[in-house]
Amino acid sequence: MVQRLLLAALAAAPLAALAGPNGPATLLPDTTGTTPTTGLNPAPAQAAPADPLPWYRPRHLVAQTGGGLGMVAAGAGYSLKDRLDLDILIGYVPRKYAGSRLSIYSAKLLYSPWTLPLGKTQKWALRPLMVGGYFSYTHGTLNDEEPNQYYRGYYWFSTDTRVGPLLGSRLSYALPPTAKGRSRNVSAYYELGSNDLYLISYVQNLKGLSPIDILTLSLGLKLDI
Amino acid sequence: MRSFFRTLPSRALLPAAAALLLGSCEMLEFSPNDHRGPDRQQDLTAKNLARLNQNPLPAGDTLRFVFTGDSQRFYDEAEDLVKSVNQQADVQFLIIAGDISDFGFGREMRWVDDHLRKLKIPYVTVIGNHDSVGNGRKAYEAIFGPLNYSFAYGDTKFIMTDTNGREYNFDGKIPNMPWVNQELRDTSTRRHVIISHVPPQDEDFDPAVRDAYVTALRNDPRLAFEMNGHRHDFSIGEPFNDGVTYINSYGFEKRQYLIVTVWGDKQFRLKKVQF
Repeated sequence: MVQRLLLAALAAAPLAALAGPNGPATLLPDTTGTTPTTGLNPAPAQAAPADPLPWYRPRHLVAQTGGGLGMVAAGAGYSLKDRLDLDILIGYVPRKYAGSRLSIYSAKLLYSPWTLPLGKTQKWALRPLMVGGYFSYTHGTLNDEEPNQYYRGYYWFSTDTRVGPLLGSRLSYALPPTAKGRSRNVSAYYELGSNDLYLISYVQNLKGLSPIDILTLSLGLKLDI
Repeated sequence: MRSFFRTLPSRALLPAAAALLLGSCEMLEFSPNDHRGPDRQQDLTAKNLARLNQNPLPAGDTLRFVFTGDSQRFYDEAEDLVKSVNQQADVQFLIIAGDISDFGFGREMRWVDDHLRKLKIPYVTVIGNHDSVGNGRKAYEAIFGPLNYSFAYGDTKFIMTDTNGREYNFDGKIPNMPWVNQELRDTSTRRHVIISHVPPQDEDFDPAVRDAYVTALRNDPRLAFEMNGHRHDFSIGEPFNDGVTYINSYGFEKRQYLIVTVWGDKQFRLKKVQF
């Protein structure tokens, strides 16, 4: 029961953060504010627009643990309008935790509808809600279908390919802008997730499993470059 | 207003921090193949056998155990099975004939244990083909224990062996016949019961080892019967017409299990229980 309440609290946390005394409208600058660029817009650091970067250049570096994507997973990613992040990660799990040394290749797509500036200095900002999903492929599992080992359809599921939903929050701190004037943040995030097979297990056993049984947690850092 | 914003990070992150403290180790999963878990869910075979030995069965006493199999992805049923078994008087332990998990993930094995540890009696398992997928064998070894093991209880020696030949791509070594033969040669108990997941008459049993296995069983004068899972349904018979009885378990989803009573040299009775 405690676990179910906790889960509900987790799910509601981003909403609670938004539901101030006067609703989301309170997120706009109050009447004493004179800087129309704050409020719902991201990028608390007010750097002058820099030269546009080539599209293929990663916008940030990422490192995280957990979430089924590695004991450590690191990579790079892209941002669209500071709201949609696509991160590509390579994760590693040592043999003693999984029975064999695993490398996990993953892609995460996360959408953050809101960025809330925090405090007077505007150095801190919170993305109360990130919602999205991931795809992962694991290399290095031990019993991994040799030719003719099974007849077609013997196992209906993939051992190595997983997909799953993600839900999290992210706290950012504005670093001094780069020499070229681009704003930069360093962020810490958590994500709660699951995967296709855990979800199927839960959906078919609403009595025999609790939601927290199927949750995974990731903790990570993101640095704009 | 401003104070609301100042407290906002703590409002949003506090539940996350609480979750972190409560279950971070298990939730911070490195991979679905990650088989770490709390200490209480490691080496469960040894722990359950230690529990069993706390209530030794005197020589000559009747043996009675619950026989089931294939708990894979049937957690609702697992909960109901535990309630039902806990109402049975005079059963000494429970056996699951393999396929504890569906995908070979440690977390699934722990989910099954979350239910079965509520049994009033100890339980033991043998590895199934689904427990062997991916890194499942390593998860099974960490969470339950050896893939081949035996234990004596009262007058009976139980021989638990991995017969999931297809999971080794029929390498001719499964079941491990030198080990099986050595176990069957042991004359320290009055009778033997051998239990595995895939029955020898099944297409998932290594055809190259079938004869050796069936012959070894036929030649063991102490063997009471052989038991399997995998087929998710009850059956009893002599598939090789050689006097050796093979018994198959219900899967959890059939909502039935067997109570097996054994006495004398090889006499036994089966009772079906619905739950």
